[in-house]
Amino acid sequence: MIVVYVIVAVVVLLAIWAVLIFNHLVRLGNEAKRGWSNIDVQLKRRADLIPNLVEAVKGYAAHEREVFEAVTAARTAMQQASGPAQAGEANKQATAAIGRLFAVSEAYPQLRASENFQKLQDELTDTEDKVAAARRYYNQTVYQYNSRLQSFPDLLIARLGGFNEREFFELDQPADAQAPSVEFPGGAGPK
Amino acid sequence: MTLEEQIRSNRIRSGMLVLCFGLVFVGIGAAVQAIYGGSYLIIIAGIAFVYAIIAWFANGSMVASWTGAKLVTKEQYPELVRAVENASIAAGLEQPPQVRVVDDPCPNAFAAGGSPKSSYIAATTGLLGMMDKRELEAVIAHETGHIRNRDVRLMSLAAVLVGVVALVSDIALRIAFFGGGRRRGGGNPILMIIGIVMLVLAPIAAFGIQMSLSRRREYLADESSAEITGDPEGLALALWKLKQDKTELRHANRATAHLYIETPLNNANGVRGALSGLFDTHPALDARIESLEKMGGFQLSALVGQQQQPG
Repeated sequence: MIVVYVIVAVVVLLAIWAVLIFNHLVRLGNEAKRGWSNIDVQLKRRADLIPNLVEAVKGYAAHEREVFEAVTAARTAMQQASGPAQAGEANKQATAAIGRLFAVSEAYPQLRASENFQKLQDELTDTEDKVAAARRYYNQTVYQYNSRLQSFPDLLIARLGGFNEREFFELDQPADAQAPSVEFPGGAGPK
Repeated sequence: MTLEEQIRSNRIRSGMLVLCFGLVFVGIGAAVQAIYGGSYLIIIAGIAFVYAIIAWFANGSMVASWTGAKLVTKEQYPELVRAVENASIAAGLEQPPQVRVVDDPCPNAFAAGGSPKSSYIAATTGLLGMMDKRELEAVIAHETGHIRNRDVRLMSLAAVLVGVVALVSDIALRIAFFGGGRRRGGGNPILMIIGIVMLVLAPIAAFGIQMSLSRRREYLADESSAEITGDPEGLALALWKLKQDKTELRHANRATAHLYIETPLNNANGVRGALSGLFDTHPALDARIESLEKMGGFQLSALVGQQQQPG
């Protein structure tokens, strides 16, 4: 009889333990999801600002077709991106293209002085800051979440519960930091 | 200590604080009753109970009115509001805290309120004038750290409860010494002495609680700031600037001192100056800068030198 009790007790304890781990993983996963939606909101806002920016610059520098096309292409890539890794790539592309657009605008003092342009520039800087902030939180939670999924014994529960690892968004790498200055010597960033 | 442990410990301490507050007032009530007779114990304990409930829910707005912190909009202070938004995104708060500004030339900042949703961050106009974007973001991230670590409820409660203990025991003592004529008969001299001793000890105990709350919390919030902005150097520069400044906050008092990022009571002289290590609500700025230097692997002196040369 005692053996049965022990077995029942062990099974119950195991079940409680599994539920606790399951709930913890769900919570971490939700946090990562919330972190991602913070990034997503800002990327959308950024994509919405781009047409206005293109319009503003076009009024002064209509012949810079190539730059406009690059910016528009980057915007399309941003909107079509699925998943953090793709969105990250598209966002980098957009940052580079917008940087070129601002570099072009350097040559038009009237454009730079216009209130509309300054406001757009300000808004874009703000979205960039917010993407950076949201990225720090998101990557941190993804790191926590993924390392739980990879480590024993949580990985057992993760397998059973169908948890999948999440992608990082623009994970900071030392090589990344150097790339823009090589690509655009002397180009002014959107700052 | 993980964030969850910190949050849990803060919740327990908030409860303990309210309990201690209740006990102190039962003590004060007992002391007054011992001096005057009558049924002061139940009256004072009852008032304290009601006050504690109000304080639990409204400590944020109480602190705001004591410190003169007024709600502001994004149109009025775009840079500050953005710094708060960004820090709260990076800290993973569900929504950005409200933003308040104190019209005071002394640079300082604090966070107050209950839950993260009802919390706010307040900065003085002096702070906004003195800090550049990077430093302001670091200071705001420190305050956001207090909100994320759930320090704010405990610290705000300490402010509204401790301040009132000092006030009440002050009044009671004054009456005990100068209101002798109105004393009802039957006062036992031994009981009276015990009563007066308790009235003197109450505010000291309260300040003890308040001080024990904030010192380690400041280091933790500095750490959180570095985590939120990824820039411990920015906070070190900001603290360095605060250290240079010698103006005193107009609305500062003992009750709210521990809320601020840096102690607002700068002109510590006389007894308080001599015992400053004992009665400080904050660790020395130098010690905080040093721990940031260790965290980020940099030397502030080198940074400051750099900053002064070009500008």
